[in-house]
Amino acid sequence: MAQDTAVPKLSFEYWLDKAVQWGQTTTLESQQDVCLHLPKLQEFLQQIYESLKQMNSTIAIQRFPLIGQLLGRLCWNPFVVGYDESQKILMCCLCCLYSSEPQNPVELKANSWILGLLRHLLFSSAWEINEVGTGTFISALGYTSVDYYSTLVKNVVLSLVTELKGNQFNGLNIHGRVSDDHVYVVSLFCVPLITLPDVTPLLEALLTYHGGESQEVLSSEFLDAVNETFLKKKIALSESAVLSLWLRHLPSLEKAALHLFERLISTQTSSLEEITCIIKDSLLPQLSCHPAIFRIVDEVFRNALLETDGAPEVMTIIQVFTQCFVQAHQKDNKQHKFPLKTYFPHHHQPLVIALLKPPCDLPAALWTQHLKYITDNLKSVVEDKSISSFADLFESWFLFVHFGEWADIAVEQLLKSENECSGVLLWLLSFYYNPHNDKEQRTQTLVEAQAVYDRLMMLFSCTTISITDLQAAASTKTDKRQPCTERLVRHLLISFLLFSSGGQKIAQEFISQVMMASNTTNEVFGLLTRTAFRLNQLGLKNQRVMKLVNELLQKLRFID
Amino acid sequence: METLGWQVEQLPGLLAVSRSGLVRAWDPPTLDRALQWGRYFQHLHGRFRAQPRLEAALGQRLRRGQQQGRGPPLGFGHLGRCPELLGLALLGNRALPPAACHRLLRSLLLPPEGQAPPGPCSLGLLARRRAAARLLPPPSSAAGSPEEPEPRVRTEAQLLLSRLQEEEEEGPGSPRAAGGQPLWLPRLLEQLPRPRVYRVLAALLLEQARDSAAAEEGDSGAERRELAGAVLSWMLGDPGRVSAFCRFLPGSLLVALAARYPQLSTAYLHLLTGWGSCLRYDPLRGQWTSSRCLGEDEVSWEELRARFGCFMRGPAPLREAALDALKNQKAQDGDFEVCGLSVWTDLLKLKGLKSKKLEQLFFFSPYLTSKAKKCIPPFGVKKAIL
Repeated sequence: MAQDTAVPKLSFEYWLDKAVQWGQTTTLESQQDVCLHLPKLQEFLQQIYESLKQMNSTIAIQRFPLIGQLLGRLCWNPFVVGYDESQKILMCCLCCLYSSEPQNPVELKANSWILGLLRHLLFSSAWEINEVGTGTFISALGYTSVDYYSTLVKNVVLSLVTELKGNQFNGLNIHGRVSDDHVYVVSLFCVPLITLPDVTPLLEALLTYHGGESQEVLSSEFLDAVNETFLKKKIALSESAVLSLWLRHLPSLEKAALHLFERLISTQTSSLEEITCIIKDSLLPQLSCHPAIFRIVDEVFRNALLETDGAPEVMTIIQVFTQCFVQAHQKDNKQHKFPLKTYFPHHHQPLVIALLKPPCDLPAALWTQHLKYITDNLKSVVEDKSISSFADLFESWFLFVHFGEWADIAVEQLLKSENECSGVLLWLLSFYYNPHNDKEQRTQTLVEAQAVYDRLMMLFSCTTISITDLQAAASTKTDKRQPCTERLVRHLLISFLLFSSGGQKIAQEFISQVMMASNTTNEVFGLLTRTAFRLNQLGLKNQRVMKLVNELLQKLRFID
Repeated sequence: METLGWQVEQLPGLLAVSRSGLVRAWDPPTLDRALQWGRYFQHLHGRFRAQPRLEAALGQRLRRGQQQGRGPPLGFGHLGRCPELLGLALLGNRALPPAACHRLLRSLLLPPEGQAPPGPCSLGLLARRRAAARLLPPPSSAAGSPEEPEPRVRTEAQLLLSRLQEEEEEGPGSPRAAGGQPLWLPRLLEQLPRPRVYRVLAALLLEQARDSAAAEEGDSGAERRELAGAVLSWMLGDPGRVSAFCRFLPGSLLVALAARYPQLSTAYLHLLTGWGSCLRYDPLRGQWTSSRCLGEDEVSWEELRARFGCFMRGPAPLREAALDALKNQKAQDGDFEVCGLSVWTDLLKLKGLKSKKLEQLFFFSPYLTSKAKKCIPPFGVKKAIL
């Protein structure tokens, strides 16, 4: 009886009602309704097929007395037959109902009805009734309906594409614009066919077509379905077609950005290179060269940061995305491209220009100086009393998050050697980790960070240190540190372990005993992957640090 | 090799049986054997595909096998499509008994795990494409343009062309008729259903002219011209055929073709004058009528007028040729200017009006208001020339 529960009676009746309804009217509304239901119907048909293949035809008819009605109606609906894999499932169901040894006239009749439906699905009626028409013509040439329909669909698609592109083949007869209603119908009728590769040129032509009016000419079912299928990687579209889709249909762009987030969060990524690949694969950074796309994607990022309360994973994603975007912008050879700074129009422009400077374009010796310049500018904006609302503060922080790589460099610069700008860099890091609008709180973070930093610097020159020494250096006199301060301290500690000779010796031990005990594995892992990525990217010849980072990551992956 | 050749020779017979009532005696093992042969032929195709001499040799054996039976022309390419040819032929055959049919359906639709469905194209894809062809609406603007055959006709023309090309490739040294036309060409064309073949041939000729113009002087352009030339000479080689071709196709399409193929232009004008000569003037009704019931070699006055009208709207050389032909005929009839004496005089009057007055009024006066335009032909001249 397991089969019965797999195909609930209710849904059987529901789909039969739907099939009857769709067969009786051919209004646009009913066609839209078919398009909306296609994925669910396919799921249902799959369930039916799973049940049918476990029984013989006689039992199948007893168990599902209405199945003939349902399948028969669906086989005559080109939307259903054209959709994804529904036609295969329909044919498989029919195949299961065919009896190899019909015992009575009813079974004989059922067999001939099944063959009739299959012939209807596979040949044109001319093939079936053998009249002088396409069927006989093609057979006389030694071809089959396979050859005919593959060529026919290409020709129909080509003629529609030509029509949409506005002129005829030879360029002599330029017809008037096609009507918006016709384009709407074409787009709606494409919904079931989106994954059929022959139709791709038509999808692209539709997506890049704009009617005379300012309102949308394509059906929203079409736009939704194309976007959904593209995001699932079931079709490949040209960049210009995707750009056009996202520009004309905001929900699609939002879905694309959210889909990227979902993919990044659900995929177990073990390096920033992998994250970069996934981000580039989404086409979002490349197409963000169009400012309208950039603004929307950035808006999604802003909301993600607000909703997750500045989760480190989200901060890293924004940082990597921005890097990909800047690279794509540099590669973009368009003549009239917008300068990068215009993508951040509401910010202090000298600050934007400084942040946009990629570290690899500057000699390492100038990094501290550049960081000081960034901090001075940021500080003047943040501490400017005339504009220091919470929103302004958030915006400045959000801007800096895009270029979080500079925060990582600041920590490294602090711990590589004695740094006369340590106060400035620590302010930058306190702001990065604690963008609180209460200045008192930020000052508290700064004071604590300064204390830890001073103690770490005292240990820096020691060639041998113990885990206890390091724990003592990172400890606090106050009862409870704010979580953001803890994160800043951990970042300092990781850098100390990587860049000081004493730290390198105890790095493995310290991470496995102290950090993992405090349940911060993910955070440590994230910091290490960021470091590994940067060292690789900048091609820094610090083999020892690189080796250590890789060993630590290996160990964490193993534990994970 | 001899064994292979012998096996290939059996394919036409196998296909013919699969379409015949003989399958009534088939049981599931017989069906399996037939499908296995199909897969074997497909395998042979894959193995010898890149070897032109073997391809040609096997193609010839196929044709030899075919002489014994009837059916569509077969070539080497059919070996590769054998499982799908067989499968579809059997599926369409009502004589196949239930047990064998059950086996056929299972092997076509539910192949066992790991075994690909037969043929390069699964039946699912075929059903999907068929649904796509039903779903996608025809272009709204293409209607009415003779230069753009509708997708179905264009498809048939493309398939006919690829059949012709396959034949040409497999038998370049095959015997030719006196006109240089390969002997297989009439055999192939004559068995195609009429009158459908005429529309398809027109589409093929149009497409060829366009493609060879695009390919300019390249090799493929020359080959295409040769193929189109052979098809055209077949068409023009028989008076009955060319007459049926011209009667079946609309005037606008024939003029579009005549503009690209001068031989056709001459033949068509010759036919039109022949048709016109059969018309008789009925003084009681004051109009030209056909001498008897409309036969194969006659058209009505209205149709003749419409067909000459198409010439007048065509390119200048065609217009000139049509006018010359009309004037010639008029001269032969005595060159009178009185209505109802010669069909050519009456036609020329209409044409003359169109080419002088109407063109002046409609084409050289763009500033004419629409109100003024409505007033121009008070005696139905515009209607008459269309």
